[in-house]
Amino acid sequence: MTKLLVLVQRSVREALRTPEALLPTLFIPLFFLVVNVGQAARIFPSGSTPFLEGQNYAAFQLPSSLLLAASFGTAALYLVEDIEGGYFDKLRAAPIPRTAIVFGRLFAEAFKSAAIASAMVLVALPFGISIASGPLGFLLLIVITASWAVVFSGFMQLIALKTRSAAATNSAGLIFFPLLFLTPSFVPRGLLTRPMEIAATFNPVTYIMETMRSLVLEDFNWSVIGKGFGVVALAGAAMVALSVRSIRRYD
Amino acid sequence: MTLAVEAEQLVKHYSGRGGEVEAVRGVDLHVQGGEVFGFLGPNGAGKSTTVRMLTTLMTITSGSARVAGVDVAADPEAVRRKIGVALQEAGLDIRQTGRELVILQARLFGASMAEAADRARELLELVDLVEDADRRIKGYSGGMKRRLDLASALVHEPEVLFLDEPTTGLDPASRLTVWDELRRINERGTTIFLTTQYLEEADQLCDRLAIIDGGLIVAEGTPAELKADLRQRRDLDQNPTLDEVFLDATGRTRERVAGEVQEVPA
Repeated sequence: MTKLLVLVQRSVREALRTPEALLPTLFIPLFFLVVNVGQAARIFPSGSTPFLEGQNYAAFQLPSSLLLAASFGTAALYLVEDIEGGYFDKLRAAPIPRTAIVFGRLFAEAFKSAAIASAMVLVALPFGISIASGPLGFLLLIVITASWAVVFSGFMQLIALKTRSAAATNSAGLIFFPLLFLTPSFVPRGLLTRPMEIAATFNPVTYIMETMRSLVLEDFNWSVIGKGFGVVALAGAAMVALSVRSIRRYD
Repeated sequence: MTLAVEAEQLVKHYSGRGGEVEAVRGVDLHVQGGEVFGFLGPNGAGKSTTVRMLTTLMTITSGSARVAGVDVAADPEAVRRKIGVALQEAGLDIRQTGRELVILQARLFGASMAEAADRARELLELVDLVEDADRRIKGYSGGMKRRLDLASALVHEPEVLFLDEPTTGLDPASRLTVWDELRRINERGTTIFLTTQYLEEADQLCDRLAIIDGGLIVAEGTPAELKADLRQRRDLDQNPTLDEVFLDATGRTRERVAGEVQEVPA
Protein backbone atom coordinates (compact mmCIF):
# COMPACT_ATOMS: atom_id res chain seq x y z
CA MET A 1 0.00 0.00 0.00
CA THR A 2 2.86 2.39 0.89
CA LYS A 3 4.48 1.63 -2.46
CA LEU A 4 1.25 2.43 -4.27
CA LEU A 5 0.96 5.72 -2.37
CA VAL A 6 4.54 6.60 -3.27
CA LEU A 7 3.70 6.09 -6.95
CA VAL A 8 0.46 8.09 -6.64
CA GLN A 9 2.41 10.97 -5.04
CA ARG A 10 4.96 10.80 -7.82
CA SER A 11 2.26 11.00 -10.52
CA VAL A 12 0.53 13.92 -8.79
CA ARG A 13 3.86 15.73 -8.46
CA GLU A 14 4.53 15.06 -12.14
CA ALA A 15 1.17 16.63 -13.08
CA LEU A 16 1.76 19.68 -10.89
CA ARG A 17 5.18 20.18 -12.46
CA THR A 18 3.75 20.25 -15.97
CA PRO A 19 1.17 23.05 -15.78
CA GLU A 20 1.40 23.33 -19.58
CA ALA A 21 -0.23 19.89 -19.75
CA LEU A 22 -2.58 20.40 -16.81
CA LEU A 23 -4.08 23.80 -17.57
CA PRO A 24 -5.59 22.91 -20.98
CA THR A 25 -7.61 20.16 -19.25
CA LEU A 26 -9.31 22.96 -17.30
CA PHE A 27 -9.49 25.74 -19.86
CA ILE A 28 -10.43 23.83 -23.03
CA PRO A 29 -13.60 22.32 -21.48
CA LEU A 30 -14.51 25.74 -20.05
CA PHE A 31 -13.96 27.22 -23.49
CA PHE A 32 -16.33 24.66 -25.04
CA LEU A 33 -18.87 25.35 -22.30
CA VAL A 34 -18.84 29.06 -23.10
CA VAL A 35 -18.97 28.47 -26.88
CA ASN A 36 -21.74 25.88 -26.78
CA VAL A 37 -23.86 27.94 -24.41
CA GLY A 38 -23.22 31.06 -26.50
CA GLN A 39 -24.42 29.28 -29.62
CA ALA A 40 -27.51 27.54 -28.28
CA ALA A 41 -28.68 29.32 -25.10
CA ARG A 42 -31.13 31.55 -26.96
CA ILE A 43 -32.76 28.52 -28.60
CA PHE A 44 -33.37 27.04 -25.17
CA PRO A 45 -34.52 29.81 -22.80
CA SER A 46 -34.81 28.53 -19.28
CA GLY A 47 -38.40 29.74 -18.80
CA SER A 48 -39.83 27.81 -21.72
CA THR A 49 -37.54 24.76 -21.95
CA PRO A 50 -38.86 21.99 -19.68
CA PHE A 51 -35.73 19.84 -19.82
CA LEU A 52 -33.70 22.62 -18.17
CA GLU A 53 -35.74 22.22 -14.98
CA GLY A 54 -35.69 25.97 -14.40
CA GLN A 55 -31.93 26.38 -14.82
CA ASN A 56 -30.09 27.94 -17.75
CA TYR A 57 -28.60 26.07 -20.70
CA ALA A 58 -25.12 26.23 -19.17
CA ALA A 59 -26.30 23.84 -16.45
CA PHE A 60 -27.39 21.40 -19.19
CA GLN A 61 -24.01 21.73 -20.93
CA LEU A 62 -21.84 21.46 -17.82
CA PRO A 63 -21.72 17.61 -17.83
CA SER A 64 -20.39 17.56 -21.42
CA SER A 65 -17.57 19.84 -20.38
CA LEU A 66 -16.84 17.79 -17.26
CA LEU A 67 -16.64 14.65 -19.41
CA LEU A 68 -14.33 16.39 -21.85
CA ALA A 69 -12.08 17.49 -18.97
CA ALA A 70 -11.93 13.90 -17.74
CA SER A 71 -11.03 12.53 -21.16
CA PHE A 72 -7.61 13.94 -21.88
CA GLY A 73 -5.86 10.76 -20.70
CA THR A 74 -2.56 12.54 -20.08
CA ALA A 75 -1.55 9.82 -17.60
CA ALA A 76 -1.05 7.46 -20.53
CA LEU A 77 1.21 9.94 -22.30
CA TYR A 78 3.37 10.18 -19.20
CA LEU A 79 3.45 6.37 -19.17
CA VAL A 80 4.72 6.31 -22.76
CA GLU A 81 7.41 8.79 -21.71
CA ASP A 82 8.40 6.43 -18.90
CA ILE A 83 8.52 3.51 -21.33
CA GLU A 84 10.55 5.39 -23.93
CA GLY A 85 12.89 6.89 -21.34
CA GLY A 86 13.55 3.62 -19.51
CA TYR A 87 12.00 4.61 -16.17
CA PHE A 88 9.19 2.13 -16.68
CA ASP A 89 11.76 -0.69 -16.68
CA LYS A 90 13.29 0.78 -13.54
CA LEU A 91 9.91 0.48 -11.87
CA ARG A 92 9.38 -3.02 -13.25
CA ALA A 93 12.74 -4.04 -11.81
CA ALA A 94 11.65 -2.93 -8.32
CA PRO A 95 9.99 -5.43 -5.95
CA ILE A 96 6.54 -3.93 -6.28
CA PRO A 97 3.39 -5.49 -7.70
CA ARG A 98 3.14 -4.65 -11.40
CA THR A 99 -0.44 -3.57 -10.70
CA ALA A 100 0.87 -0.76 -8.46
CA ILE A 101 2.46 0.84 -11.53
CA VAL A 102 -0.94 0.90 -13.28
CA PHE A 103 -2.95 1.92 -10.22
CA GLY A 104 -0.42 4.57 -9.18
CA ARG A 105 -1.17 6.52 -12.32
CA LEU A 106 -4.91 5.82 -12.34
CA PHE A 107 -5.42 6.96 -8.74
CA ALA A 108 -3.44 10.10 -9.44
CA GLU A 109 -5.63 10.67 -12.49
CA ALA A 110 -8.72 10.34 -10.28
CA PHE A 111 -7.37 12.98 -7.84
CA LYS A 112 -6.41 15.29 -10.67
CA SER A 113 -9.77 14.91 -12.37
CA ALA A 114 -11.64 15.47 -9.10
CA ALA A 115 -9.70 18.70 -8.53
CA ILE A 116 -10.32 19.94 -12.09
CA ALA A 117 -14.03 19.02 -12.00
CA SER A 118 -14.45 20.79 -8.65
CA ALA A 119 -12.73 23.88 -10.05
CA MET A 120 -14.99 23.83 -13.12
CA VAL A 121 -18.15 23.58 -11.04
CA LEU A 122 -16.93 26.38 -8.76
CA VAL A 123 -16.20 28.55 -11.80
CA ALA A 124 -19.68 27.77 -13.18
CA LEU A 125 -21.61 28.60 -9.98
CA PRO A 126 -21.46 32.41 -10.37
CA PHE A 127 -22.94 32.03 -13.87
CA GLY A 128 -26.28 30.85 -12.53
CA ILE A 129 -25.58 27.12 -12.45
CA SER A 130 -26.55 25.31 -9.28
CA ILE A 131 -26.31 21.66 -8.30
CA ALA A 132 -29.96 20.79 -7.70
CA SER A 133 -29.12 17.60 -5.80
CA GLY A 134 -27.17 19.56 -3.18
CA PRO A 135 -23.77 18.87 -1.58
CA LEU A 136 -24.16 15.08 -1.81
CA GLY A 137 -25.09 15.46 -5.47
CA PHE A 138 -22.01 17.64 -5.99
CA LEU A 139 -19.90 14.93 -4.38
CA LEU A 140 -21.44 12.25 -6.63
CA LEU A 141 -20.87 14.49 -9.65
CA ILE A 142 -17.18 14.76 -8.81
CA VAL A 143 -16.92 11.03 -8.08
CA ILE A 144 -18.48 9.97 -11.38
CA THR A 145 -16.31 12.48 -13.29
CA ALA A 146 -13.16 11.18 -11.60
CA SER A 147 -14.28 7.59 -12.19
CA TRP A 148 -14.73 8.30 -15.89
CA ALA A 149 -11.24 9.82 -15.93
CA VAL A 150 -9.93 6.52 -14.53
CA VAL A 151 -11.83 4.53 -17.19
CA PHE A 152 -10.57 6.68 -20.03
CA SER A 153 -7.01 6.76 -18.70
CA GLY A 154 -7.18 3.00 -18.22
CA PHE A 155 -8.08 2.64 -21.89
CA MET A 156 -5.28 4.99 -22.93
CA GLN A 157 -2.77 3.19 -20.67
CA LEU A 158 -3.78 -0.04 -22.31
CA ILE A 159 -2.94 1.41 -25.72
CA ALA A 160 0.31 2.82 -24.34
CA LEU A 161 1.35 -0.57 -22.96
CA LYS A 162 0.42 -2.36 -26.18
CA THR A 163 1.95 0.09 -28.65
CA ARG A 164 4.70 1.77 -26.53
CA SER A 165 4.20 4.72 -28.86
CA ALA A 166 3.21 8.29 -28.02
CA ALA A 167 1.75 8.82 -31.51
CA ALA A 168 -0.47 5.72 -31.30
CA THR A 169 -1.58 6.57 -27.77
CA ASN A 170 -2.43 10.12 -28.81
CA SER A 171 -4.40 8.86 -31.79
CA ALA A 172 -6.31 6.39 -29.64
CA GLY A 173 -7.48 9.34 -27.53
CA LEU A 174 -9.46 10.56 -30.52
CA ILE A 175 -12.00 7.84 -29.80
CA PHE A 176 -13.33 10.27 -27.27
CA PHE A 177 -14.95 12.38 -30.02
CA PRO A 178 -17.48 9.74 -31.17
CA LEU A 179 -18.00 8.75 -27.55
CA LEU A 180 -18.80 12.33 -26.50
CA PHE A 181 -20.75 13.46 -29.53
CA LEU A 182 -22.88 10.34 -30.09
CA THR A 183 -24.65 11.33 -26.90
CA PRO A 184 -27.50 13.66 -26.01
CA SER A 185 -24.91 16.41 -25.52
CA PHE A 186 -27.06 19.31 -26.82
CA VAL A 187 -30.62 18.09 -26.13
CA PRO A 188 -32.12 15.17 -24.15
CA ARG A 189 -32.16 11.76 -25.81
CA GLY A 190 -35.89 11.98 -26.54
CA LEU A 191 -35.36 15.02 -28.78
CA LEU A 192 -32.63 13.46 -30.94
CA THR A 193 -33.31 12.18 -34.45
CA ARG A 194 -34.04 8.45 -34.51
CA PRO A 195 -30.59 7.34 -35.81
CA MET A 196 -28.84 9.60 -33.28
CA GLU A 197 -31.07 8.33 -30.51
CA ILE A 198 -30.19 4.70 -31.38
CA ALA A 199 -26.48 5.55 -31.48
CA ALA A 200 -26.72 7.40 -28.16
CA THR A 201 -28.60 4.51 -26.56
CA PHE A 202 -25.76 2.13 -27.46
CA ASN A 203 -23.09 4.58 -26.30
CA PRO A 204 -22.19 3.92 -22.64
CA VAL A 205 -21.09 7.54 -22.19
CA THR A 206 -24.75 8.57 -22.64
CA TYR A 207 -25.63 7.02 -19.28
CA ILE A 208 -22.76 8.75 -17.52
CA MET A 209 -23.74 12.07 -19.07
CA GLU A 210 -27.40 11.57 -18.12
CA THR A 211 -26.37 10.78 -14.55
CA MET A 212 -24.27 13.93 -14.32
CA ARG A 213 -27.04 15.98 -15.85
CA SER A 214 -29.57 14.51 -13.48
CA LEU A 215 -27.40 15.48 -10.50
CA VAL A 216 -27.09 19.05 -11.81
CA LEU A 217 -30.72 19.61 -12.86
CA GLU A 218 -32.89 17.55 -10.50
CA ASP A 219 -33.11 16.03 -7.09
CA PHE A 220 -31.79 12.48 -6.78
CA ASN A 221 -33.18 10.27 -9.55
CA TRP A 222 -31.67 7.01 -8.41
CA SER A 223 -32.63 4.95 -11.46
CA VAL A 224 -30.71 7.35 -13.73
CA ILE A 225 -27.84 7.70 -11.25
CA GLY A 226 -27.63 3.92 -10.81
CA LYS A 227 -27.26 3.37 -14.57
CA GLY A 228 -24.43 5.89 -14.82
CA PHE A 229 -22.49 4.48 -11.92
CA GLY A 230 -23.17 0.95 -13.17
CA VAL A 231 -21.72 1.77 -16.58
CA VAL A 232 -18.66 3.47 -15.11
CA ALA A 233 -18.09 0.55 -12.71
CA LEU A 234 -18.31 -2.04 -15.50
CA ALA A 235 -16.12 -0.06 -17.89
CA GLY A 236 -13.67 0.68 -15.08
CA ALA A 237 -13.42 -2.97 -14.10
CA ALA A 238 -12.83 -3.96 -17.74
CA MET A 239 -10.17 -1.29 -18.34
CA VAL A 240 -8.33 -2.00 -15.10
CA ALA A 241 -8.41 -5.76 -15.73
CA LEU A 242 -7.09 -5.31 -19.28
CA SER A 243 -4.38 -2.87 -18.16
CA VAL A 244 -3.25 -5.19 -15.38
CA ARG A 245 -3.17 -8.14 -17.80
CA SER A 246 -1.21 -6.08 -20.26
CA ILE A 247 1.45 -4.97 -17.75
CA ARG A 248 1.82 -8.52 -16.43
CA ARG A 249 2.45 -9.76 -19.98
CA TYR A 250 4.72 -6.86 -20.86
CA ASP A 251 8.00 -8.32 -22.12
CA MET B 1 29.85 -20.26 -2.31
CA THR B 2 26.58 -19.44 -4.08
CA LEU B 3 27.04 -18.18 -7.59
CA ALA B 4 25.84 -14.61 -8.04
CA VAL B 5 24.55 -15.37 -11.53
CA GLU B 6 23.99 -18.81 -12.99
CA ALA B 7 22.37 -19.47 -16.34
CA GLU B 8 21.92 -22.80 -18.06
CA GLN B 9 21.00 -22.97 -21.73
CA LEU B 10 19.19 -19.65 -21.58
CA VAL B 11 17.10 -19.08 -24.70
CA LYS B 12 14.95 -16.19 -25.85
CA HIS B 13 12.82 -16.25 -28.97
CA TYR B 14 10.30 -13.59 -29.82
CA SER B 15 8.14 -12.64 -32.75
CA GLY B 16 9.47 -9.75 -34.76
CA ARG B 17 8.08 -8.14 -37.89
CA GLY B 18 10.22 -10.41 -40.05
CA GLY B 19 9.15 -13.56 -38.18
CA GLU B 20 10.57 -15.45 -35.21
CA VAL B 21 13.80 -13.94 -33.83
CA GLU B 22 16.28 -16.12 -31.92
CA ALA B 23 17.89 -13.41 -29.81
CA VAL B 24 19.60 -15.73 -27.32
CA ARG B 25 20.26 -19.33 -28.36
CA GLY B 26 21.54 -21.19 -25.32
CA VAL B 27 23.70 -19.14 -22.99
CA ASP B 28 25.51 -20.63 -19.99
CA LEU B 29 26.89 -18.21 -17.40
CA HIS B 30 28.56 -18.69 -14.04
CA VAL B 31 29.43 -15.50 -12.19
CA GLN B 32 31.08 -15.73 -8.77
CA GLY B 33 29.96 -13.50 -5.90
CA GLY B 34 32.09 -10.34 -5.63
CA GLU B 35 33.26 -10.46 -9.25
CA VAL B 36 33.06 -7.74 -11.84
CA PHE B 37 31.88 -9.77 -14.80
CA GLY B 38 32.00 -8.28 -18.27
CA PHE B 39 29.52 -9.32 -20.93
CA LEU B 40 30.71 -8.22 -24.33
CA GLY B 41 29.38 -8.52 -27.80
CA PRO B 42 28.67 -6.61 -30.98
CA ASN B 43 25.35 -4.83 -31.52
CA GLY B 44 22.46 -7.26 -31.66
CA ALA B 45 24.50 -10.12 -30.19
CA GLY B 46 22.04 -10.76 -27.37
CA LYS B 47 23.70 -8.87 -24.49
CA SER B 48 20.77 -6.70 -23.50
CA THR B 49 18.25 -9.51 -24.03
CA THR B 50 20.26 -11.73 -21.67
CA VAL B 51 20.43 -8.96 -19.07
CA ARG B 52 16.70 -8.32 -19.39
CA MET B 53 15.99 -12.01 -18.76
CA LEU B 54 18.32 -12.11 -15.76
CA THR B 55 16.73 -8.99 -14.28
CA THR B 56 13.16 -10.35 -14.65
CA LEU B 57 12.24 -7.74 -17.26
CA MET B 58 11.78 -10.33 -19.98
CA THR B 59 10.40 -13.84 -19.89
CA ILE B 60 12.71 -16.77 -20.55
CA THR B 61 11.76 -18.94 -23.55
CA SER B 62 13.70 -21.94 -22.24
CA GLY B 63 16.58 -22.78 -19.97
CA SER B 64 17.00 -21.55 -16.43
CA ALA B 65 18.62 -18.73 -14.55
CA ARG B 66 19.38 -18.08 -10.88
CA VAL B 67 20.45 -14.71 -9.57
CA ALA B 68 21.73 -14.37 -6.00
CA GLY B 69 20.60 -17.96 -5.51
CA VAL B 70 17.00 -17.33 -6.56
CA ASP B 71 15.29 -18.81 -9.62
CA VAL B 72 14.43 -15.91 -11.92
CA ALA B 73 11.33 -17.52 -13.43
CA ALA B 74 9.99 -19.05 -10.21
CA ASP B 75 10.37 -16.07 -7.86
CA PRO B 76 11.02 -12.87 -9.83
CA GLU B 77 10.02 -10.60 -6.94
CA ALA B 78 12.64 -12.15 -4.65
CA VAL B 79 15.22 -11.61 -7.41
CA ARG B 80 14.19 -7.96 -7.71
CA ARG B 81 14.84 -7.47 -4.00
CA LYS B 82 18.42 -8.68 -4.44
CA ILE B 83 19.45 -6.90 -7.62
CA GLY B 84 20.12 -3.36 -8.76
CA VAL B 85 19.55 -2.46 -12.38
CA ALA B 86 20.85 0.37 -14.53
CA LEU B 87 19.93 -0.22 -18.14
CA GLN B 88 21.19 1.23 -21.41
CA GLU B 89 18.91 4.24 -21.16
CA ALA B 90 19.42 5.98 -17.82
CA GLY B 91 15.95 5.17 -16.47
CA LEU B 92 15.07 8.40 -14.75
CA ASP B 93 12.00 10.52 -14.25
CA ILE B 94 13.26 13.87 -15.47
CA ARG B 95 10.55 15.87 -13.69
CA GLN B 96 11.84 14.88 -10.27
CA THR B 97 14.92 16.13 -8.52
CA GLY B 98 17.82 13.77 -8.02
CA ARG B 99 17.05 13.49 -4.32
CA GLU B 100 13.34 12.80 -4.91
CA LEU B 101 14.18 10.06 -7.37
CA VAL B 102 16.55 8.24 -5.03
CA ILE B 103 14.14 8.61 -2.10
CA LEU B 104 11.28 7.24 -4.22
CA GLN B 105 13.40 4.30 -5.30
CA ALA B 106 14.37 3.57 -1.69
CA ARG B 107 10.73 3.69 -0.63
CA LEU B 108 9.81 1.23 -3.38
CA PHE B 109 12.33 -1.11 -1.78
CA GLY B 110 10.56 -0.78 1.56
CA ALA B 111 12.50 1.98 3.33
CA SER B 112 10.65 4.40 5.60
CA MET B 113 10.71 8.09 4.66
CA ALA B 114 13.48 8.84 7.18
CA GLU B 115 15.56 5.82 6.09
CA ALA B 116 15.06 6.74 2.45
CA ALA B 117 16.19 10.33 3.05
CA ASP B 118 19.32 9.12 4.86
CA ARG B 119 20.11 6.61 2.14
CA ALA B 120 19.61 9.25 -0.56
CA ARG B 121 22.06 11.57 1.21
CA GLU B 122 24.64 8.78 1.44
CA LEU B 123 24.26 7.69 -2.21
CA LEU B 124 24.23 11.18 -3.65
CA GLU B 125 27.48 11.75 -1.83
CA LEU B 126 28.88 8.50 -3.24
CA VAL B 127 28.14 9.58 -6.81
CA ASP B 128 29.17 13.18 -6.16
CA LEU B 129 25.78 14.73 -6.82
CA VAL B 130 25.14 16.42 -3.46
CA GLU B 131 25.29 19.93 -4.88
CA ASP B 132 22.81 19.13 -7.64
CA ALA B 133 20.57 16.86 -5.60
CA ASP B 134 17.68 19.32 -5.44
CA ARG B 135 17.74 20.29 -9.10
CA ARG B 136 15.33 18.71 -11.58
CA ILE B 137 16.95 15.81 -13.44
CA LYS B 138 15.92 17.39 -16.74
CA GLY B 139 18.84 19.80 -16.38
CA TYR B 140 21.46 17.13 -15.62
CA SER B 141 24.24 16.29 -18.07
CA GLY B 142 24.54 12.78 -19.51
CA GLY B 143 27.25 11.88 -17.00
CA MET B 144 25.21 13.16 -14.04
CA LYS B 145 22.21 11.15 -15.22
CA ARG B 146 24.31 8.00 -15.43
CA ARG B 147 25.67 8.54 -11.92
CA LEU B 148 22.20 9.20 -10.56
CA ASP B 149 20.94 6.05 -12.27
CA LEU B 150 23.74 4.15 -10.55
CA ALA B 151 22.81 5.68 -7.19
CA SER B 152 19.16 4.73 -7.62
CA ALA B 153 20.18 1.16 -8.46
CA LEU B 154 22.05 0.94 -5.14
CA VAL B 155 19.34 2.10 -2.70
CA HIS B 156 18.82 -1.35 -1.21
CA GLU B 157 22.47 -2.44 -1.23
CA PRO B 158 21.90 -5.07 -3.92
CA GLU B 159 23.88 -8.29 -3.96
CA VAL B 160 24.19 -8.13 -7.74
CA LEU B 161 24.30 -4.96 -9.80
CA PHE B 162 23.40 -5.25 -13.49
CA LEU B 163 24.73 -2.47 -15.66
CA ASP B 164 23.86 -2.43 -19.34
CA GLU B 165 26.36 -0.25 -21.18
CA PRO B 166 26.67 2.21 -18.31
CA THR B 167 29.14 4.50 -20.07
CA THR B 168 27.75 4.56 -23.60
CA GLY B 169 27.58 8.13 -24.84
CA LEU B 170 29.65 9.59 -21.99
CA ASP B 171 32.67 11.80 -22.48
CA PRO B 172 36.02 10.33 -21.35
CA ALA B 173 36.05 12.23 -18.03
CA SER B 174 32.54 11.07 -17.09
CA ARG B 175 33.48 7.53 -18.13
CA LEU B 176 36.45 7.53 -15.78
CA THR B 177 34.24 8.84 -12.96
CA VAL B 178 31.75 6.01 -13.51
CA TRP B 179 34.63 3.48 -13.52
CA ASP B 180 35.86 4.81 -10.18
CA GLU B 181 32.37 4.52 -8.74
CA LEU B 182 32.00 0.97 -10.00
CA ARG B 183 35.30 0.01 -8.37
CA ARG B 184 34.13 1.53 -5.07
CA ILE B 185 30.80 -0.29 -5.28
CA ASN B 186 32.54 -3.57 -6.02
CA GLU B 187 34.95 -3.06 -3.12
CA ARG B 188 31.92 -2.96 -0.84
CA GLY B 189 31.13 -6.53 -1.92
CA THR B 190 28.57 -6.03 -4.68
CA THR B 191 28.87 -8.35 -7.67
CA ILE B 192 28.77 -6.36 -10.90
CA PHE B 193 27.45 -7.78 -14.15
CA LEU B 194 28.43 -5.32 -16.80
CA THR B 195 27.69 -5.23 -20.49
CA THR B 196 29.79 -2.95 -22.59
CA GLN B 197 30.94 -2.33 -26.12
CA TYR B 198 34.08 -0.62 -24.88
CA LEU B 199 36.81 -3.22 -24.68
CA GLU B 200 39.12 -0.93 -22.74
CA GLU B 201 36.37 -0.64 -20.14
CA ALA B 202 36.16 -4.41 -19.85
CA ASP B 203 39.95 -4.66 -19.65
CA GLN B 204 40.12 -2.05 -16.89
CA LEU B 205 37.21 -3.20 -14.78
CA CYS B 206 36.42 -6.86 -15.25
CA ASP B 207 37.78 -9.84 -13.35
CA ARG B 208 36.30 -12.16 -15.95
CA LEU B 209 34.34 -11.73 -19.11
CA ALA B 210 32.28 -13.54 -21.68
CA ILE B 211 31.85 -12.61 -25.31
CA ILE B 212 28.48 -13.28 -26.90
CA ASP B 213 27.84 -13.32 -30.62
CA GLY B 214 24.74 -14.39 -32.49
CA GLY B 215 23.07 -15.33 -29.22
CA LEU B 216 25.84 -17.74 -28.15
CA ILE B 217 28.84 -17.39 -25.83
CA VAL B 218 31.94 -17.59 -28.04
CA ALA B 219 34.66 -16.91 -25.48
CA GLU B 220 34.94 -16.77 -21.69
CA GLY B 221 37.72 -16.22 -19.17
CA THR B 222 39.80 -13.56 -17.49
CA PRO B 223 41.15 -10.84 -19.82
CA ALA B 224 44.64 -12.24 -19.27
CA GLU B 225 43.55 -15.82 -20.07
CA LEU B 226 41.77 -14.76 -23.23
CA LYS B 227 44.78 -12.78 -24.42
CA ALA B 228 47.20 -15.59 -23.59
CA ASP B 229 45.01 -18.09 -25.42
CA LEU B 230 44.96 -15.99 -28.57
CA ARG B 231 48.70 -15.35 -28.35
CA GLN B 232 49.31 -19.09 -28.17
CA ARG B 233 46.90 -19.99 -30.96
CA ARG B 234 48.24 -17.32 -33.30
CA ASP B 235 51.83 -17.75 -32.17
CA LEU B 236 52.16 -14.01 -31.55
CA ASP B 237 55.30 -12.32 -30.23
CA GLN B 238 53.42 -10.28 -27.64
CA ASN B 239 50.10 -10.34 -25.88
CA PRO B 240 47.22 -9.20 -28.12
CA THR B 241 44.82 -6.48 -27.01
CA LEU B 242 41.31 -7.26 -25.88
CA ASP B 243 40.13 -5.71 -29.15
CA GLU B 244 41.98 -8.44 -31.01
CA VAL B 245 40.54 -11.10 -28.71
CA PHE B 246 37.06 -9.71 -29.42
CA LEU B 247 37.59 -9.66 -33.18
CA ASP B 248 38.94 -13.19 -33.09
CA ALA B 249 36.08 -14.49 -30.96
CA THR B 250 33.35 -12.91 -33.04
CA GLY B 251 34.97 -13.83 -36.35
CA ARG B 252 35.10 -10.19 -37.38
CA THR B 253 37.85 -8.29 -39.07
CA ARG B 254 38.64 -4.64 -38.41
CA GLU B 255 37.35 -3.81 -41.92
CA ARG B 256 34.09 -5.59 -41.37
CA VAL B 257 33.54 -3.94 -37.98
CA ALA B 258 34.33 -0.56 -39.46
CA GLY B 259 31.83 -1.28 -42.22
CA GLU B 260 29.17 -2.18 -39.66
CA VAL B 261 29.83 0.96 -37.68
CA GLN B 262 29.44 3.03 -40.81
CA GLU B 263 26.14 1.36 -41.52
CA VAL B 264 24.61 2.20 -38.15
CA PRO B 265 23.69 5.85 -38.77
CA ALA B 266 22.10 4.98 -42.12
